[in-house]
Amino acid sequence: MASAGFFQTVPAGQDTPFMQWKRGIAMQRWKQVAIAVLLIALVWLSAWRCEVHIATFVLGVNKGLPIVEMFFPPEWGDILGMLPALGVTTVMALIATIFGMIFSLPCALAASTNIAPKPVRLVMRCFIALERGLPEIVQLLLLIAIFGLGAIPGLLALCISSIGMLAKLLADGIEEIEPHMLEAVAGTGATSSQVVRYAVIPEILPALLAQGLFRFEFNVRAGVILGALGAGGIGYIMSTAMASLDYQRACMATLLTLALTFGTERVSDFLRSRVLRGGMLK
Amino acid sequence: MLRVSNIVVTLPNGKRLVDDISFTVGRGEFVAVLGSSGAGKSLTLRCIVGLTKPNQGEIALEGPTGKTYKTTTRKASELRRARRHIGLIFQGANLVKRLTVLENVMLGRLGYINPLRSWFFGFKDSEARDAMMALDRVKLAHFAARMAGSLSGGEMQRVSIARAIYQRPLIYLADEPISSLDPKNAESIMKILQPLSRETPVIGAFHQPALVAKYCTRAIGVRMGKIVYDGPAQMSPRELENIYGGTDSEPLITMGDTGQQPPFYGSDMQRALHEGVIA
Repeated sequence: MASAGFFQTVPAGQDTPFMQWKRGIAMQRWKQVAIAVLLIALVWLSAWRCEVHIATFVLGVNKGLPIVEMFFPPEWGDILGMLPALGVTTVMALIATIFGMIFSLPCALAASTNIAPKPVRLVMRCFIALERGLPEIVQLLLLIAIFGLGAIPGLLALCISSIGMLAKLLADGIEEIEPHMLEAVAGTGATSSQVVRYAVIPEILPALLAQGLFRFEFNVRAGVILGALGAGGIGYIMSTAMASLDYQRACMATLLTLALTFGTERVSDFLRSRVLRGGMLK
Repeated sequence: MLRVSNIVVTLPNGKRLVDDISFTVGRGEFVAVLGSSGAGKSLTLRCIVGLTKPNQGEIALEGPTGKTYKTTTRKASELRRARRHIGLIFQGANLVKRLTVLENVMLGRLGYINPLRSWFFGFKDSEARDAMMALDRVKLAHFAARMAGSLSGGEMQRVSIARAIYQRPLIYLADEPISSLDPKNAESIMKILQPLSRETPVIGAFHQPALVAKYCTRAIGVRMGKIVYDGPAQMSPRELENIYGGTDSEPLITMGDTGQQPPFYGSDMQRALHEGVIA
């Protein structure tokens, strides 16, 4: 007992750093367990409430396999009859892209900090945000209510959303133009419209073309979806074939859609690389 | 002739970035404005073209017929008319990289062209021929059809000089035209500017006292927004020390009146310009 204190044990109830650590770890464990239990309970509760059973999946797969078999072979005979519809979808995407590119340019100019005065810019930014806030499908349903079924509302919906997206991307591009370059042109006594014509437009034209090509790919895909909702084209054929349980015809439409999207992607990749390469160095 | 009288540029917090600068530039002069970064050189030049509005003072450009153009005006159309007579040469050239070299030169006279014509019909052949002559003066006529973005830094700077020549201005204004160039290219730019200055005065901001002594006719030293030297381009080491200084303390000799607070230090001006407080 002479060297009291050296082997002194910690009296019960005294707090040491090690004890604090142990308590912290234990607390963490409990939290983790509690969260896991809560999650499992939530999943079980929602499955019970929505009447989801594992059995449904198993039965679905069993029932589904024969249906998948019904898709094959594709109805090759329909291919010629579907080509016009394929054309409608492509032309719809093309027109929407072209209109989008034309109208997005003034919108982008009005929305960029280095070109437009503040009130104009705020109004245009709000307008673009509103346009982008509504998904194409919502726009289509609104437009169908106005114009009725057919390619026109689909075309308009694609145009409007193309303008919104391209204008936003372009406005960002315009804002990245070097301010000194604009000053150099303005410093010769040019009007602001001349600065736009000779400094802004040449600088962003390649970006407009490249983004327009991206948008074209997107418009083809979106055009198929809008078509299924009543805007005509290959999407419409697909949805009617499915509705009338003509699965082989639907399969043919699916294959054509795949061919179309792959094709447009290849073409736009090729053109884009040409635009970006050709515009940089001549 | 360019007359800068008593211009003052003040930050919102009252700091004076350009403090009562006055000078005149006349026929046959090649004036170099010297000073450390943020001393107010570039800001003074920006005021001359009206890219920055001075809080006080007046800047007037007198034509040969006696007509004066003021860049301190508030009217946009009057400012544009004045700017037509100032040939701008910036640091880093600032060409439109996706236009051809010749088109970039032709941008120099955009201020004389009706906006509608420039939008829908472009430039005339006679203008293109004049522009070719300007391009020939900087020895780049063979690059006329190239894209401006494909040129080297020195070549771009020469094209921007051709743009200013084509503009046929009353004065050339060069903001650090050789700062981003290697010594050989810098020298070649000075060799182009020197003969130009015999026809039309040139005023430029420089950081190279040796080149200034060799090519310029006059130097203006700016320190903390004030002119501390105005005289021959060949300066003694003591005079240079006075402009650049070892520290940011008071200058050794002050031209004009003394006894005012040192106005500012570099970073404030850069930030102010960036945020557009002044402009």
